[in-house]
Amino acid sequence: MKKILLALMLATGAVQSAQAEDVLHLYNWNNYITPETVKNFEASCKCKVVQDYYGAMEEMLAKLSAGAKGYDVVIPTGFAIPPLVKQNLVQPLDKSKLPNAKNLNPAFLDAAFDKGNQYSLPYAFTTTLVGYNDKKIKELGIDPGSWSIIFDPAVLAKIKGKVTVLDDSREVFAAALMYNGFSANSTKPEELKKAQETIIKAKPFWAAFNGQSYIKELTLGNIWVAHGYSNDMFQANTDAKAAKRPFGVAYSLQKEGNTLSVDNMMVLKSAPRPDLAIKFINFMLDGKNSAQLTNLIGSGNPNSSAAQFVKPEVKSISAVFPSADNMKKLQQLNALEGKALRDLGRMWTQVKTAK
Amino acid sequence: MHSKQSKWLWAAALFAYAFLYLPLIIVVVYSFNDSKLNAEWVGFTFKWYEILFHDAQMLTAARNSLLIGLITSICATVFGTLAGLAMYKYKLRLLPLLVLTPIAIPEILMGVSLLIFFVMLNMTLGLVSVTLAHIAFCIGFVAIVVRSRLQGMDESLVEAARDLGATPVQAFRLVTMPLIMPGIIAGALMAFTLSIDDFVITFFTAGAGASTLPLQIYSMIRIAVTPEVNAISTLLMLLTLCLILLASKLAPSALRAE
Repeated sequence: MKKILLALMLATGAVQSAQAEDVLHLYNWNNYITPETVKNFEASCKCKVVQDYYGAMEEMLAKLSAGAKGYDVVIPTGFAIPPLVKQNLVQPLDKSKLPNAKNLNPAFLDAAFDKGNQYSLPYAFTTTLVGYNDKKIKELGIDPGSWSIIFDPAVLAKIKGKVTVLDDSREVFAAALMYNGFSANSTKPEELKKAQETIIKAKPFWAAFNGQSYIKELTLGNIWVAHGYSNDMFQANTDAKAAKRPFGVAYSLQKEGNTLSVDNMMVLKSAPRPDLAIKFINFMLDGKNSAQLTNLIGSGNPNSSAAQFVKPEVKSISAVFPSADNMKKLQQLNALEGKALRDLGRMWTQVKTAK
Repeated sequence: MHSKQSKWLWAAALFAYAFLYLPLIIVVVYSFNDSKLNAEWVGFTFKWYEILFHDAQMLTAARNSLLIGLITSICATVFGTLAGLAMYKYKLRLLPLLVLTPIAIPEILMGVSLLIFFVMLNMTLGLVSVTLAHIAFCIGFVAIVVRSRLQGMDESLVEAARDLGATPVQAFRLVTMPLIMPGIIAGALMAFTLSIDDFVITFFTAGAGASTLPLQIYSMIRIAVTPEVNAISTLLMLLTLCLILLASKLAPSALRAE
């Protein structure tokens, strides 16, 4: 027994001492950096990258707020940045050590959640849009380039029960607001009311609110139209191709505008190795490295110099590299607080319970 | 009348077992499916297992889980057995309350409070903090199992040993311990399983580089349940099965109703 205990102590000791080497701790979504990129960075910094994952932004916030330490770089979505900064958990970025920041598309800089990019630089983004079964939608002669595909009863009559929308009040209301020509962030009661009416009228034609398995449903052909994230549509199309389906999953931005979620790199104040963290951020801002993720999961790329390294079939997707015109119509959702949040919650409940 | 009743009982049992085991069987079958989708059978393949064994993150998580589980089950068994003995011997009111509270407290509360506690101690979160947290919540489970085993023991055997000149330590080592061994082993197994399986407490107490299998799997299914998840689940089931078999070899009566 004593021998076993001793062996275990040694084993844990070995694990601990391995951590004392040059290690960069990355706290990120799963599957959000390619193994190849990790290898290349490890070679360039002569260090090891250890990754930990979160499944939701709230998880990451909860953990860091409670005081968890040991991570160097974290990659939060825009709305999660102000709370992290407010709690004094993030270090300002030393731009003189980030020469590759010049590669970034200015359209993604200076966002409301971090004016002047004091703390964060964009990593990748997704747009929320409509993905669809290219064969079916073409046959039915429906225009997928407008939000009418999920909101107009006349259009929906042709695809009744084959449509899902995200189970997310912010995203569904944002889409309905944009469809009505309002800002995705509108909090005006009459505009929200109008959006709510649009949603309630369309709801009987929808199969479900689905934020989880629409990739699979699209790939199988069970549903033909899904409101969802661009990365997921890329995945659905890849899966459909791999399964040799007689159709593909296509997606493009809607002409009324789409919501945009940007994920950003930040260095934590408690970072054990801020030097490696800065090196990592600069490395990821190199077009070639940034392009690897886009090629893998079809994430939107905020890096102008990445385009040349992105596969042509990915580069042509407007959700990955939006045209300047499309870019103007993309809106990031603000964090809602207090009354606005409660109002939306109430309206969402009305939507959910409406017959 | 009697046979009719037993037919119904059989049917009910069959239904219950199908409900419990069919999903597990489906997971195992689909871990050999040559398609990324879990929806239809395409062909037989081992490739998800191959991918699994080349997935450095997954292997690290598995190693972490096993290491934490092993240390947890050893420590929790030692402390839990002692606690069980104390609860049986000294009928104190406070002791069961102290030992059993961590079992009854919602996991999320336990996780958050441990996290705040570790942060207050200025401890770096990592494998050590997870292991400490696991030991803390497993002790109670082991103690309960050991105590119930002690309650079924014939006290006169220990008294007889003492009458024949055994010291208290000898009496414990040669009489009590062998008698409650099935309980101790069952407790150890339980601690190991609880540790391997725990998500909530682990989530809060795991630090950089200390991801366990449940944390890893959870972060993977955000997009979809991939066959790789099926493969790792199948291996976990296999491990559990081996443990049960091992336990029934080591302490046959631990698994038998008495």
